[in-house]
Amino acid sequence: MIGIRIFSDNYFQASQVATSSSTAGTSYSSSHTATTPELEATLQMLSSHRTVLGVLLLSRASPPAIIRHSGVVFEGEQGRKYAKAVGRIVDACKTGLDDIDGETSDDLKFMRIRTKRHELMISPDERFLLVVLHDPTAV
Amino acid sequence: MSEWRREIDAKRAKLEAVRKAKAEKRRQDELSRSNSSTPAPGQSSEAKREREKDRLYRIISDFVGEGGSRGDSTPGSSIPSTPAAVHPGLGSGALGLNYGGTRSVSRQSDSGSERGAQRNTMVQAGGEAPDRSSVMSSAFVPDLIEMEQELFEMPQKERVVYNKEVQTAAFDEDSGPTIEELRQQLRAEYEQAQIQQQQQREKELEEEAARLDQEIEQEIRELTEEERATIFAAPEFFNFVEQSSKIIQRALNDNYDYTRDYTVGAQTGEDESEGKRVKKVCAFWDERWCKNRSITDIDWSPRYPELSVAAYNKNPAGINEPDGIVAVWNQHLLERPEFVFHSQSDVLSVLFSPFHSNLIFGGTYSGQILLWDTRARHLPVLKTPLSAAGHTYPVYAMQMVGTQNAHNLITSSTDGMVYSWLVDMLAQPQEALELVHTGHNKTDEVAITTLDFPDNETTTFWVGTEEGNVYQANRYDRAGSKAGLNQHDVYKGHNGPVTGLHFHPLAGPVDFSDLFLTCSVDWTVKLWRAKVGGKPSTAHTSVHPLYSFNEADDYVYDVKWHPQHPALFGSVDGAGRFDLWNLNVDTEVPTVSTVVGERAINKMEWDKKDGRRVALGSSDGRLYVYDIGDLGVPRESEWTDLQKTLGGLAGANAAQLGLDGEQSSRTLAGR
Repeated sequence: MIGIRIFSDNYFQASQVATSSSTAGTSYSSSHTATTPELEATLQMLSSHRTVLGVLLLSRASPPAIIRHSGVVFEGEQGRKYAKAVGRIVDACKTGLDDIDGETSDDLKFMRIRTKRHELMISPDERFLLVVLHDPTAV
Repeated sequence: MSEWRREIDAKRAKLEAVRKAKAEKRRQDELSRSNSSTPAPGQSSEAKREREKDRLYRIISDFVGEGGSRGDSTPGSSIPSTPAAVHPGLGSGALGLNYGGTRSVSRQSDSGSERGAQRNTMVQAGGEAPDRSSVMSSAFVPDLIEMEQELFEMPQKERVVYNKEVQTAAFDEDSGPTIEELRQQLRAEYEQAQIQQQQQREKELEEEAARLDQEIEQEIRELTEEERATIFAAPEFFNFVEQSSKIIQRALNDNYDYTRDYTVGAQTGEDESEGKRVKKVCAFWDERWCKNRSITDIDWSPRYPELSVAAYNKNPAGINEPDGIVAVWNQHLLERPEFVFHSQSDVLSVLFSPFHSNLIFGGTYSGQILLWDTRARHLPVLKTPLSAAGHTYPVYAMQMVGTQNAHNLITSSTDGMVYSWLVDMLAQPQEALELVHTGHNKTDEVAITTLDFPDNETTTFWVGTEEGNVYQANRYDRAGSKAGLNQHDVYKGHNGPVTGLHFHPLAGPVDFSDLFLTCSVDWTVKLWRAKVGGKPSTAHTSVHPLYSFNEADDYVYDVKWHPQHPALFGSVDGAGRFDLWNLNVDTEVPTVSTVVGERAINKMEWDKKDGRRVALGSSDGRLYVYDIGDLGVPRESEWTDLQKTLGGLAGANAAQLGLDGEQSSRTLAGR
């Protein structure tokens, strides 16, 4: 287990160097499983939008796990903090909504949290979460 | 990350060690507890009894002179204690052990050494059975057995004798008259305290373990490779990413800052340009799908005004890609199409179903008509047969006629076949109609390039052909005219293939629905009045256009009337220009002429709602959307103005034919 971790960390380092030299400012956490090119293209399109600072793709199982992340904001420890926080936020909203309206299942569809500096957009699903952090005032 | 992991591992290891120590301790406790002769409260009296027994043994052995060391064989308690007695030092404060130890020591000290060896062996072997000792003793003093029994009785007598002592001993639980008892009590208390401490420690450890587990649970962890692979393989994951990324992109494209504070700061507002200009709204293009392809047809969705659909032809460089693509674009999602549908051959015409918001029809180069559903994946859900039952030539024109409950799809191909299909039954056409022009001097084939029904008409239509003529055709036999091409009225005017034909939309107080526009590769756009009703002509007559617009310098690829403004229409040509004409303003030059791109514009389509935007499809695969602003808003007088204009045009026409000279100022280019 530890051996695999170290290997993936190295790979991560190498690929980070490679991608940061080729693309402008975006980097992906590495995985050497075959990801479909459409997936890559979609995530790349999202990350390369003018105002987007980072994209985070989480699985919602407990404990939440990061499937993919891109952008400086979601690197490493910060990314994990965001992931945990977003997980908690979504769960809190869900329980709140369930309290309001328990019988008719009104699912959480989209969340847009606008703070002073950024906007956090969360698209929840039964099993996954897509989180995008962007700065709407970026010119 | 590794520090965190190390921390967790360290905590785990600590937990394990504590657990192990706990287990060890428990085991030892059990061992030691099982060694103890009696539970704590009754211990002092038991111990007392043992001591008295021992004293008696000593007395008896002194009297008898033999080893009366049977005390070791008292059932139960002594057996496990005897092996331990060999190691008097061992013990964790259990009373019995110590006592056994003291007992053997005292015995050894009291009796002579001659018996010491015996007793030692007996002590060591006492664990096996009392039989051996009894065997050994029976060799010496058989009576001792009886004395043993007496011994059992003796303590009772002793009890009788030492009644007071017993009472006092009961009282003396707290103070403890002898050191032994004190020591025992202390030991008992110590043991209890220890037990409590242990329990507490256990509880703490458990709590900590639980907390650690929870922490580990809640920590964000990295996925292993297998987990990642399983996640990526799941189709729901892919669907989720598609859906949510579309939603997020639409939200990203919405540039309005709804938290803007209007009281603060003077914003340099963008000046709204006057409504007289034609502005570009956006250009839809996708690197993956639209590269090297041209747009062949466009349509707007009748249900969702932000959606438009474009059909693309083949990408010659992409061998593994589908030959034909149909992409649905969303005004709010500029980077990628909402949907992409595939086809086996180039798609030449596309149509949203006006009656079902999810269905999209496409006509292809191979002659197949395909039906896609936005709820399904990218392959067509229904196809027409690729045999003689369907079209076998390219289908350039399609139209839906009818009402919600009874509608048909009319398609035409370049071999002159016109089929009518039912939407849910594309396996065979409902009607087949072949248009032949028998009276033609060269060929009777009619190569249809474009087709249009006047608004509100479902049985008669007009077709534009490759030779440049426009014909009227009927779907069914009617009084006076047969099904098929009306060979007598030939709308002769163009010198090249007709690329676009459009009837005037039926909107407004005055009905102009017999007017239609055509455009062709001969650089002209012509305005015609259709011959409807009246008596059908029996001889070949040529119908001439009302007017011809000759502004273009290149092939004119499409012309379309504006849906709201009666005098407005647009045309696109091969030089990449989009001309907006207003007949009430000027009939010779377009009102606005915009250069859209360097490549030719193949198709144009006004949006269905109010005609404010127009979609232009260029041959480099880009779908431009332009906004014409207030130019498309008609005033009340437009209709009557148009009537006058048309009258003027007709008069000019007549003048050109030499009958009327009043409009000589208007110059008319050739037909």
